[in-house]
Amino acid sequence: MTPLKITVRDASTGPVWEINGALDYTTAPELREQLTTLTIRPGQRLVLDLAGMDFCDSSGITALITAHNHAQAAQADLALAAVPANTVRVLRMVGLDQVIPLYPDTDAATRP
Amino acid sequence: MMCRSGQQPDQPDSCDHQHSGGEATATAAFAALLEDSAEELYESAPCGYLSTLMDGTVAKINATLLDWLGLAREAVVGRMRFSDLLTVGGRLYHETHFAPLLQMQGSINGIALDLRHADGDRIPVLASSVVKYGSMGKPLLIRTTLFDARDRRAYEEELLRRRAVAEEARRQAEADRARLQDALAVLQRSLLPDTLPVVPGLDTAAYYHTASPDELGGDFYDIFPVDGKRFAFFLGDVCGKGPQAAALTSLTRYTLRAAALHEPDPRSTLTTLNKVLHERYAAGGDPRYCTAIFGILEIDETTDQVFVQLASGGHPPVLILRADGTAEYLPTPGGLLIGVLPEARFTAATTTLSPGDTLLLYTDGLTEARTGTDRSSLYGEDALLDFGTRHAGAPAHDLVQALTALLDGFGDGLDDDTALLALGVPARPAARPTTRSRP
Repeated sequence: MTPLKITVRDASTGPVWEINGALDYTTAPELREQLTTLTIRPGQRLVLDLAGMDFCDSSGITALITAHNHAQAAQADLALAAVPANTVRVLRMVGLDQVIPLYPDTDAATRP
Repeated sequence: MMCRSGQQPDQPDSCDHQHSGGEATATAAFAALLEDSAEELYESAPCGYLSTLMDGTVAKINATLLDWLGLAREAVVGRMRFSDLLTVGGRLYHETHFAPLLQMQGSINGIALDLRHADGDRIPVLASSVVKYGSMGKPLLIRTTLFDARDRRAYEEELLRRRAVAEEARRQAEADRARLQDALAVLQRSLLPDTLPVVPGLDTAAYYHTASPDELGGDFYDIFPVDGKRFAFFLGDVCGKGPQAAALTSLTRYTLRAAALHEPDPRSTLTTLNKVLHERYAAGGDPRYCTAIFGILEIDETTDQVFVQLASGGHPPVLILRADGTAEYLPTPGGLLIGVLPEARFTAATTTLSPGDTLLLYTDGLTEARTGTDRSSLYGEDALLDFGTRHAGAPAHDLVQALTALLDGFGDGLDDDTALLALGVPARPAARPTTRSRP
């Protein structure tokens, strides 16, 4: 498995985090840890760009839910961009596609 | 070597003067250089020397040994026997083993004995003895060397003690492990019904595949009566594994059972479960969730048909195998994972099972099993639909048996727990009188 690498940058809509590598049982705590440092204003949007995510298991899904909860707690939103097909399938299966907006890429997700 | 003639007959302990003059000079030169002499070496050697008559009487003893024993030479020589210098245990061993062996073999090597110090202390030694024979082959005396084994014995005892400690720790660890596995097995059984209840007019069969015997699984299922006419069933999968997943499974099972009795409607039951799980976990910042299908069965005794209402929270759709040889999924899209959000929407569906039809519930261990030689593709819902079509019309028990064989065939491609629950309406016997057409 590839290790998790999170690259952080800012867009006009709010923070954009690029998730690279595997989001699984061993790496999900890193994303959760990173979320505790999240600074986001009400009305902003946290975008997780998953183009470079090559694996996501149920722990990864839990971490995405945690990200959603963090954003909601700050009266902000979470959006996912460039979600790999297999993860889209899982998100649809568990109904999360109706809770977290999915965008084809970060450009679309950060359009104000 | 001892070079002082003793008091013994036949001068048994005298030196052999066989060296050439030159060698003797060289030896003497070295001895002088070392300010040492054979006499000095004998008396102060770092080991005990002892010569005894054949009856054990001490004829000669060095200073080192006297010092170890805390005895004066006069008290020992000619007055004590070798065995008198030993502890009771040492004496016993000397008499039963040491002395007989020495007599038989003429020499004995490195035997552990205990000396007794004048003040009663025990001094462990290693003893080696040789019998010196006279020219006629008659045994004359016994020469014995004793090495102080106190350090060595302490070391050995320490080793033995440590081995005993390690042994005890290992035994304890094994006992703990066995106890833990017993506890896990009991817990696991408490999370799954031992046997499914008899449901009149319905055949039921279930199977649970455990991915790891050391970990509590995260899948669950059950079927139980809710009133005189209806039965409830559920099957699901909690996130994670191990004790925390088991706690979540336990809470999920009992909540579903209680909620179903209170209001036997699939969507309300899942909504109650969602509230309970969200309040218990996600609200505290530790999101834990499950996927589940919950349903209610109502059996129509006049038609043998079974009316099914069910709802899904994030769970793969149930598969229906029809008596006519077809199979179809009963779609429940959009039902959310249970326990994630304070308010969640669940998707309901209904179907009617006729004789020969079977409803199959499964967890994604089955559809997510990795197949192919490089284990890179997933078994998937299409393959399961094909499998269901091939087995349509089979009784619930046969279907579960066929699926068990399928799971076994996945080998190490099946790395998740997998639960199966099949509910089938028995096919009408071909020659059943009530279905025979009237003449």
